[in-house]
Parts: sequence; C-alpha cells; structure tokens
Amino acid sequence: MNAGFFWILKALLSHYWRHPWQTLFLCVGLVAGVGLWSAVQIVNQHAETSYRQAQSLLGAQASYWIRSRRGQDIEQALYIDLRRAGFRQIFPLIELEVSTASGISISIIATDLLALPDDPYSGSDDTQDFSDSWLEMVQAPYRAWVPAVLAQELGLKPGERLRLRDGRLLPLALIQAREQQGRRVLLDIGAAQSLAPSDGFSYLAVGSIAPRAYQRLAASLPDHLELIENQQHIDLQDLTASLHSHLSAMSLLSFAVGLFIVFNAVRFSLWYRRATLLDLRLLGCASAQLVAAILAETLVWSLLGTALGFVLGVLLAQALLPGLGASLQSLYAATVEAELGLSWITLLQAWSITLLGLIWALSWPLYRQLRQSSFSAAGSEGLLRSESRTRRWLALTALLLALIAGLGYGRIASVTQGFFVLGLMLFAAAWLLPILLAAGLRVAAGLVPRESLTMRWMISDGWSQLPAYRSAMMALLLALTANLGVGTLVDSFRGAFVGWLELRQSADIYLRAPHLDLRQLESVPANASWLAASHHRIGVSTRWRGRPSLIRGGDTGAPDSLALPLSKWQGESAAAALQAWRERPDTVLVNEQVHFLAGVEPGERVALETDNGLRNYEVVGVFYDYGNPYFQFYLPEQVVASQWSHYYSRGIALWLKQDNNAAMQQAEQSLKALGAQAGDWISQAQIRKLSVGIFDRTFAITAAMNALTMIVAAIALLASLLAILQERLPQFAQWRALGLRQGEQLLLVAIPLLIFCAIAWVLSLPLGALLSWILIHKLNIISFGWSMPLVWKFAPSLQLAGIVLVICALTLSLVSFQWRRKMPRALAQLGETI
Amino acid sequence: MKRLLLLICCLWPVQTSLAQDVLGDLRDQGLGFAQVTPGKRLQFPRDHGAHPDYRIEWWYLTANLTDREGRNWGLQWTLFRQALSPQAVEVGWHSNQLWMAHAAITTPQGHHHEQRFARGGIGQAGVSLSGRDGFFNAWMDDWELRSNSAALLPAKLKFTVDDREIILLLEATGELVANGVDGYSQKSAQGQASYYYSQPHIKARGFVNQGLDKTYLSGQGWLDREWSSQALAQNQQGWDWFSLHLNDGHKLMVYQLRHDDGEHWLSGNWIGPRGETRLLDRGAIDLDSTRVRPVAIGDNRVRSLPLEWQLALAEPQRRWRIKPLYDQQWMDTRIPYWEGVVLVEDEQGASAGIGYMELTGYE
Repeated sequence: MNAGFFWILKALLSHYWRHPWQTLFLCVGLVAGVGLWSAVQIVNQHAETSYRQAQSLLGAQASYWIRSRRGQDIEQALYIDLRRAGFRQIFPLIELEVSTASGISISIIATDLLALPDDPYSGSDDTQDFSDSWLEMVQAPYRAWVPAVLAQELGLKPGERLRLRDGRLLPLALIQAREQQGRRVLLDIGAAQSLAPSDGFSYLAVGSIAPRAYQRLAASLPDHLELIENQQHIDLQDLTASLHSHLSAMSLLSFAVGLFIVFNAVRFSLWYRRATLLDLRLLGCASAQLVAAILAETLVWSLLGTALGFVLGVLLAQALLPGLGASLQSLYAATVEAELGLSWITLLQAWSITLLGLIWALSWPLYRQLRQSSFSAAGSEGLLRSESRTRRWLALTALLLALIAGLGYGRIASVTQGFFVLGLMLFAAAWLLPILLAAGLRVAAGLVPRESLTMRWMISDGWSQLPAYRSAMMALLLALTANLGVGTLVDSFRGAFVGWLELRQSADIYLRAPHLDLRQLESVPANASWLAASHHRIGVSTRWRGRPSLIRGGDTGAPDSLALPLSKWQGESAAAALQAWRERPDTVLVNEQVHFLAGVEPGERVALETDNGLRNYEVVGVFYDYGNPYFQFYLPEQVVASQWSHYYSRGIALWLKQDNNAAMQQAEQSLKALGAQAGDWISQAQIRKLSVGIFDRTFAITAAMNALTMIVAAIALLASLLAILQERLPQFAQWRALGLRQGEQLLLVAIPLLIFCAIAWVLSLPLGALLSWILIHKLNIISFGWSMPLVWKFAPSLQLAGIVLVICALTLSLVSFQWRRKMPRALAQLGETI
Repeated sequence: MKRLLLLICCLWPVQTSLAQDVLGDLRDQGLGFAQVTPGKRLQFPRDHGAHPDYRIEWWYLTANLTDREGRNWGLQWTLFRQALSPQAVEVGWHSNQLWMAHAAITTPQGHHHEQRFARGGIGQAGVSLSGRDGFFNAWMDDWELRSNSAALLPAKLKFTVDDREIILLLEATGELVANGVDGYSQKSAQGQASYYYSQPHIKARGFVNQGLDKTYLSGQGWLDREWSSQALAQNQQGWDWFSLHLNDGHKLMVYQLRHDDGEHWLSGNWIGPRGETRLLDRGAIDLDSTRVRPVAIGDNRVRSLPLEWQLALAEPQRRWRIKPLYDQQWMDTRIPYWEGVVLVEDEQGASAGIGYMELTGYE
C-alpha cells in the first residue's frame, strides 16, 4: 500500500469524524443487522450441536436405551444383574415432570453419577470427576443441580430448596449442570426416588458397546424390556428442521432491515463526500484508487460491524435461548444445553454476509457517484432527477420480483422455497414503495387547497426529503409487514389451539400412574357418585416412514372420542367418518401430520407394522394435532390391544358429574384411596394452563424478534431524519432567518414524514395479510403439518399505527432538540458558505 | 503392606481445597467413626467382612506369577470401602458407603491398570459373608473375589483390565497373620493405628485371556485386610511399602511412613514359612532408597521416585537389595501412586525373592 492510497483513505474516512451521527447510524445498522442475524444463527447452531450430542446423556455416551415395552419402570434388581454381568456401560435414569409451587412445570432427570461410563471418545475422565459437589450429590441429604438459566427463571438461589406443588421440597440447589442436562434439574437416584411413584428406573442408557457385547446384552434382556437404538440425534434434526428454518428466515429479515439502514447511511456518506471525491479526482487520483480506498473503508466497517454485531448477537442469543430451550424441550423432548457454545464459522459467516451486504449497498451509489463526480458536482436538481429514475427502476424490479414470486407460489414444496418466495414478495413490496410514496405526495399535493400556501410548500418540500426516507420507509414497511403477518399467524394459531384444547382435553382429570390398575377405578361402586365417564387410553411407540410415531388406542365411545375435531374426512360428514371409525375395525384416524407431511389422503390405506406383520387400515378421518411433531394413528383400544402385545397405558381421563370443587376433592380422595399420589394426576385447568404456557413460550421468540425488527426500523427512521437535518440545516437556517417559526419548521419535516409513514402502513395491511396467508396455508403446513383458519383482526394493525406515530413523535422530538442546539450556529454561519 | 495405600481410598473423596495435599483426608481425626483401639481380638470369619462403622477399609491382593516360559507377571486387585459419614447406612440408595476398586497387571510387555467406583447399598459393589450361597464374596460389577466358604480362601478371583480377562484360583498354604500386635497396627507415635491382618501364604494359578491369547500363570499371592478411621498423622506425607516372598520360604512385610519432620515411622513383620510372625519395630529395620529414577506419570510428565532400595534387618541379620521389575508401574488413578513387582537380591546380587512395592505421597 503506498502513501498516496493512505492519504486518500484518510481523506475519505475523515468524513466520519466530522459527522458522528452518520457514523453512529452506519454502526447501528450494521450492528443491529448482524446482531439479530447472528443471534438466531448462534441459537440454531447451538441447538443443532445439542441434537448431535443427543448421542450422549449427561456427558456419557448413550447409544441405546433399555425400556419397558409397556411403559413401566425397570426394576433395580435387573439393573444390578446387568452390571454384575459386566455391562458397565449401562446406567440408570429416572425422568419426572413436576410442578413447582408457583405452577411452573420442570423436568427432573436423575442418575447415579458414579455409574456413568467413561466416554472413550472424550479423551478425558471427566465423567468421574469426583469433587465435593459429587459427594454431596450422591448422599443424603443430596443436592439438586440446577442450570443457571433455569435457576434464574425460577428465582432460585444456591442453597435454597425448591418447593413443589404438592408441598415436597427438592434438595438444596447447586447452580451447576452437566453436559446434555439442558433445562432439567439433575438429582441423584436416591433423591429422585422420594419424588417418583415407584422405586424403579424410567429407563436404562447403554453407553458405547461392542457388537459382541451388544448381542450378549440383547440376548440377556427379559422379554418385557427392549433394546432401542438411540436415534434421537437424527430424529431431532429432522423434526426441528422446520422450526429452525423459520427462525433463520426471521433473522434474515432482520438482517435485511438492518441493511436498509446501512444502505441509507452508505449512500449518504458517499453523497456528502461527493465534493471530496471530486477534489481527489481533480488532484489526479485514479478511479481505481478511489474504488480501492472505498473498498478498504468497507472492509473496516464490515470488521467493526461484525465484531460489535456478534457481541450483540451473543447477548441476544443468551436472552433468546431459555425460551427456545423450553419450547424445544416441551415440543420435541430435545435437550438444549443451557450454556451457549459459539463457533468461528458463525462469526465468519456473519462477516461474509456483512461484507457482501455492504458491497451490495455501496456498489450502485458508488458507481453513480464516480460517474457524476467526473463531469459535474450534481446539484439537488440532478439528484431529484436521478431519484425519479431510481424509483422507476426499483418499481420495475419490484414488478419483476413479484412476478417471479407469483409464479413460484404454486410450486412451493419446501420450507426454504416458501421463505424464498416470501422474501421475493417482501422485497418486491419494499422496492415498489418509493414510487408509491412519490405518488402519495402527488395525491396529497392535489388534495391541498390552492390557497393553503404553507401546506403546499410543506408537502412539496417532501420531494427533497423523499430520497432520504427511501430506505427507512422500506425498512419500516418490512417491519410492519413482518409484525402484522407473524402476529396474525400467532393469533390465528393461538385461537385454533385454544379451541382445539377445549375439545381435545374435555375431561376434568387426567391420571397417569403406570403402577396402578386404572380399570379398578371404574369398577369401584363408590366412585359412581362423582365419576360421569372415563377414558382409558393405551399406546404403542413405533416408527412409521422413518419418523417416531405413536399408535393410540382409545375408547371410541368416550366423550372426547365422540367430539374429536377432524380437519378432513371421508364420506359425507365428520360425524359419519367418526361413526365408520367406531364401527369398522379396519379404519383409522390419522393426525394432520400424516396427512400433510406424509401425503396420506382420507380414503387411502396405511400399512402399520403389527405383531402379526403389516396390516392395512383405511384412513377415514384426519384429526387436528397441534404441537405434536410425530405421526399419530388412532385406533379403537381393542384393535391396538389385539395387534400389539406390548402396548402401554397412556393414562385415564375422568369426567366429573359436577363441575365444582367438592366433586374435585371427592375425586382426589378416591384416587388417593386407590393408591395414586399427588402428582399422578393433573386437572383440566392445569393441563390447559400448561399447554397454553408452552404455546406462548414457543412464540415468545417470535414476539421478541418482531419487537427488535420494529426497533431497527425506528432507528432507520431516526437516522433519516437526522440526515435530513444535517443536509438541510443551512437551508432551514435561511428560512428561519426569513421568519419561519420553529413549530412550522418542525411541521415541514413532520408532514411529509407522516404521509410517508401512512403510505407504508396502508401498504403493510394487505402485505401483512398476504404474509400470514402464506405462513399459515403454506409454510406452517409444510413445516409442521398443522392447518388452521386465518383470523384477521384489525386491532393489531391499529396498534402498529399507534406505535409508528409514537416512533415519529419520538424521532421528531429528538430532531427538534438537535435543531435547537444547532440552529444558532447555523444562523451565525449564514452567508459564509452555502 | 500396600494396604495403606488403600488409604488412599479415603483420598478419593478428597476435598478440592486439599487437592494440593491429597493425603489430607487421611489425617482427619475421623470423629464420629468407630476408633481403632489396642487389645481387640480379630474374629473370623466376621472380620473378613466389611466394617462400615470405620471410615476406610480394603481387601488387597497382589500376586507374583510366572508364565510357562518363566517370565515374571504381576497382578493387583483391590477393593476399597469408604464411609462418607459416621453412622453407617448400609442398605439402599441412601447408603453412605462408597466403593472403589483398582486392578493392575504387569506383563512382560508392560503395565496396565483400571479403576472403578460404585456406591454401596444397591448391590453393585460390596463385601458379603452371607451372599446368595452364604460364602465370602467381595465384588464390584463383574469383578469379584469369591470364596467357596465363609473363609477368605480358597477363592476365585475374576477381573478385567482393559480387554484382558483374568481368572485366578487362590489357595492358602498357611495361616492368617495378624500384623502389629494381634492385628493392632500402630502407624505413628501419636496413636494412629489400623486393624490389619494378612494372608501371605497363597498359592495362585490361573490365566489371562486377551483376545485369542491365553496365558497360564502360577505363583504366589498375598492378601491384606485393613480397616481404620484415621490412618495418617499430621506430619506424615506418604509411605513406602514392601511385601516380599523370599526364596527361603519367609515372608517379609515392611513399611515406612515418611514424616516431614524427624524420623520416619518404620514397622514390619517377619513371617516364617509356617506362619509364625514377629513384629519388627523401628530399631530392627534399616530401610534406605539407593536410587531415584524418573517415571512417566502421563500427560508427558515425569516424577522422580526412589525405585531401588536397600533393606536390612537386625534380627535375623539379613540385607537385601530391592529393584523394580520395570520402572513403569505407575498407577495413574484418581489418587496416583506407584505399585508394582519388585525383585529381591541378596548382598551378592543373587536372586533372593520377589514381591510388591508401593510408593505413595511423592510430589
């Protein structure tokens, strides 16, 4: 690099010292974009890393599971026999779901730390890292290891004991966690046994095992146990792929919004330096040298933006992770490490997209600048002319994008394709916006009465402000559209979900106690006084078309079976389909996932692997099954019991005769008399609260991303206003000197701004509706197999209008504050230079 | 002998804060645990079983063996018990008994070892005098020393080290020997002591299986039993321990507890071919290290250890040189130490016996 180049660079960079606001906004745009993108990227990668680690459990390899075929516990004696037979890679686990006194549902995992096998691949003997905490952990009074994020969520401090709903206390909390513990509380088996209904284990995990030992193990297991390969890492990647695509798409949208700020800032930085660029060219600098200097500047910005953005990303990811971890655990039983892992690849990716984004933002303005500066220092007239050209070009490109999006819409077959079409659509709308803004100004000018001179002046001044607002308005449009579209999706989904819960979970009490004979409940005469109906459900876990699936067996005459909400059916009506299902043993109901994801239509036959080989069942109906990532087949109980010998109880649903506290208490007493413990059952109210809680937590990340996008758009708006202030200050000072009052001056800026915002808002309504339509009717179905009606509400859009007004008010007051500060100097400089 | 080593077992729940001084726990006063007092008679078979009221305990077997080509092999198998708190809880997941096991094999090709841990009370590890068959049994997972009576021997020892499977049949050829004074073995002038008895007369034969290779071995073994609640005095940093099978049929156990101030604590037993034993006190033993050599201890680190020794007794007036069969018999376990096969030579350099040596507490 020669000295000349250095001086060119220095001359160009001096701009940023002189205009700190510009510098700040360029930074903010870069940092916000990179931050939002990398936050989601970090969270996604972190989750994927955790899925890959699903081959391990609590830091120990877990290649296989030993489970009871009937969902029962595994006896301790059997575990000891296996250890004594030399299977040292086997370790016991108890998993429990409990509710805290404040009603938060938490998962507990318990093992014997001393029994964990060494991981031969980890290269460390860390699994046998005996320290004080281990010894406290494995003996009474025990300890509860609580991951820091969970402790924070529960408001639990080290040394405190967490109180459960039934009044029992967990051991003293230690804020620490093992690998793959996720958001679960880790206990010793000894401590967990006092919480569990039986003394057995939920399952056994089998670490790394040689083929011969595997055969020996398989042969030595009693018939009621099965040895299942741990395919969780594959299943989880498969099942959660759509969720992560959704998140990625949202993060790219945020990046795009950030990029609009950057685009604005870069364009202005070049515009301001047109004189410098011209001087440099007149001094003999070659275009190539100038381009190289600006590229070097871009490189610096990209590095700075990436570094700061990444830091923001990490902070955001830390904030987003607990919610996402909770959702993944509730929906997919996926354990996501509570502590964040970072990768260099994410950082490099962040840097490359930043650099590409910057170059993309820079290339066109730079090209124009270099061309113009060589023959004229184009004045504002030239600028306006070229602006109008740009608007037309953008509009043409927008139409082209919209056309491609329209053509692509019918061909959407995957989540990625869906988001691609969505992206095209959004950008088409964004690029169409400038011409619409111009049209809006024209219309507004036409509406103002001829005699209202001030008003006409104010509106026509909008033309000179329009270029400055262009990118900010695009960002605002994207943010509004995303908020409306995603908000409508979430609202629609929530409505459908809550309605569905009411039908699906109509029973008053759900009892799950594998150790109890639930049929006894129905046969005890005393229970007749409170028990109106019951529904004992059974199930068989299996795999169908490579995915974990469940075959459910139920009472076809139970209240919830009779009212099962169907989304599609064969025959005349849903009722007729349900009747066919009750009467014909060769029919099956499938969930929407089977219909949408596996493409099975009502009337088709599905082959299920039974104990007696493959059997075909005719699909007579498709039922809604929100929140479930797995395939489900619903058959009459007797069919399941006759075709699958290893079915297990999925609990019993009980309907009370009266819906009051007294009936509930009577029921609870009867259950206790039967041997059930508090915690074995859950009331309808609790289960609904829990389900809706999981739902809300799942979409909390969406709400957060929406809010962040809005903030970025607000910053873009502020940046534009300040740029206008900066650029027009001498002019405003002149007008001020001619007698314009401060309030009028503010109106001069506010009126065009309000017109532009109103146009963006109006455009966001149909766009938001279109976005939610595609999300609900295309992407949600492709991703999750959940269908639901789109529910459009006007209130959220009005709320957004309110938010936009607040943003305008805030930015305007900031600007007026700046004006007040700068005006005296600008007035003093009047006449010096213009 | 090495039994002490066992003490290390106490170390294993070593406090993190004591990590610099891994033997710290051994010096703990052991308050609340049953205490070792003189004058108590050992009772068998009861004392072959566990003493959960005492803090630490071990069943410690070493064997010096030869294969059919006359090459030397060595085996070590040890089960350690530790009570984590006074007032033993023996049964169930709430048990406060922890178990640790060490196994090592010295082959003509090198030295290999393994360690295991288990909690008590659930059947995964323990010592029982009345198991399913009513016989003595000491086990952890699939490692076990199982007798066919309530007595320690005859017994079958079965364990693995990595991919080697070892089976050894052990038979007593003499009586049990109570060390110290009737089994009360004093470890310092301040009164630290343990109950300690041995079976030094063991005929051992068996084999090592590794893949398709099977090596038949035979030789002599030594089994130590020791329990205590406090094993080291504050000023003791570690010990050097020897159990030697002499060619003339005598057995010799000698240990030295090294003091960081003043003279070391020396003790031992001179055991005749028929089991008659004589306590050797400090004045009767002259033990000096004659050569210090570096030993690789893993992670590319080496440690200098006194690997060669000169041992002399006043009565009988005998003098031997003790050398390791191989220098590299380091036990890179949670509490690391050196333990391995040693060769015994007389003053003329002729072979006088074979045995095991244990060196602990060297930093």
